Amino acid sequence: MALVERCRQGDLGAFEELYRAHAGKLFSVACRMLGNTADAEDLLQEIFLSAHRKLDGFRGEAALGTWLYRLATNHCLDYLRSRAARTDQLTDVLDDEPGYFTAGSPGLAEQTVTKMDLERALARLPEGCRAAFVLHDVQGLEHREVAQALGIAEGTSKSQVHKARHRLRALLSERH
Amino acid sequence: MHTAYRESIHELIDGTIGNIRRAELERHLADCTDCRAWLADMEAIRDTAGSLDPLEPPDGVWLQIAGRLRQEGRVALPPARQPARVRHVALLAIAASLLLAVGAAIVMLLPQYRTNNAGPRAAAVGTPAPQPGNPGGDVAVESVEAEFRLAEQHYQNAIAKLEQAVKLDQAASGQNGNTLDAQTAAMLQKNLQVIDQAIAESRSGLRSDPLSAAALASLFDALRSKVALLQDTIALMNEMRKGNSAGAAQIVDGLNKS
Repeated sequence: MALVERCRQGDLGAFEELYRAHAGKLFSVACRMLGNTADAEDLLQEIFLSAHRKLDGFRGEAALGTWLYRLATNHCLDYLRSRAARTDQLTDVLDDEPGYFTAGSPGLAEQTVTKMDLERALARLPEGCRAAFVLHDVQGLEHREVAQALGIAEGTSKSQVHKARHRLRALLSERH
Repeated sequence: MHTAYRESIHELIDGTIGNIRRAELERHLADCTDCRAWLADMEAIRDTAGSLDPLEPPDGVWLQIAGRLRQEGRVALPPARQPARVRHVALLAIAASLLLAVGAAIVMLLPQYRTNNAGPRAAAVGTPAPQPGNPGGDVAVESVEAEFRLAEQHYQNAIAKLEQAVKLDQAASGQNGNTLDAQTAAMLQKNLQVIDQAIAESRSGLRSDPLSAAALASLFDALRSKVALLQDTIALMNEMRKGNSAGAAQIVDGLNKS
């Protein structure tokens, strides 16, 4: 809490320390949530400016990193929703797409899953399960932490991550 | 794939499965090729996801955040900047002492200069001019002008020493790979050009009207600005060399506002 307290008192050096400790993780999440680095850079600025404004409300119930993840994912989801609204994309129904699990797919068989293939497939995931997957499988958070970061139940985090893996398997098996 | 085992397979991958369900799943996997293949696919996806490279934002993002926090008055200003490199301390100390001496002289002389110059112009609006045969006014004007020429020379000396320090810093920064980014360098160059233009215009004004207090004040304002800009340039390079991007951002922000 000492670092947070110094940030609250307007210590820019302390806030830079906080930024250096967390910016890489939040930038990685933003890039993978938004699908491009230019938007992620703009959003990262907004995330940290918002964090600075809201630090007074940080009570330490969650870890600072989890609190920042929540701020970041909320910004990303808001941004994606406004971008979808601007382009008339219908994305909000995808997380509960019927037949998600029942649709058969040939599977990956012996194919190697490359990082590039996975990044491309990630960009095609519905937003909700993409956020949970990025936080859990990419960033390595526990389901409990993902739930706190996204403001959802732990069980919902599990089901979203599982849905994401199913969907990714289907997308990756379409490669050939 | 048997859907009855789907959640158990995810829990196995997540490491959250209990002993009883784990034993049951392992028995099933021993006999089910489809579920084993499905488990392998899920593991491949999880492993690849966990190996994705972390991404780092460019330095400019922090500079912009720091600039905006400062603009909005949400952070405390840093303590006065101190040049870090010993080999420049002597140059900067000389420049500073020159400026202090010159600044004090100008503060004392400028009102006197204005009063002495007010004579001929004031006459046009009804104020008595110096009496003929009384050379006191002209002598005073010449004396003050000489003081100003001396003061200007001191400024020029200070500027020359600061420019020398900037060049040394630039050379050292270039060797260490800490050069100013193109945008900041262009901004500094532009500010210098504006100041040099102001100096040239003030001198031109003084050539056509050597008694113009306004042109003289403008000249010294421009000289002071040049000294401040050179000092900020040195401080900026020091902060960059120390890796203090917050300090550098604040200086750049100040330069943008100036």
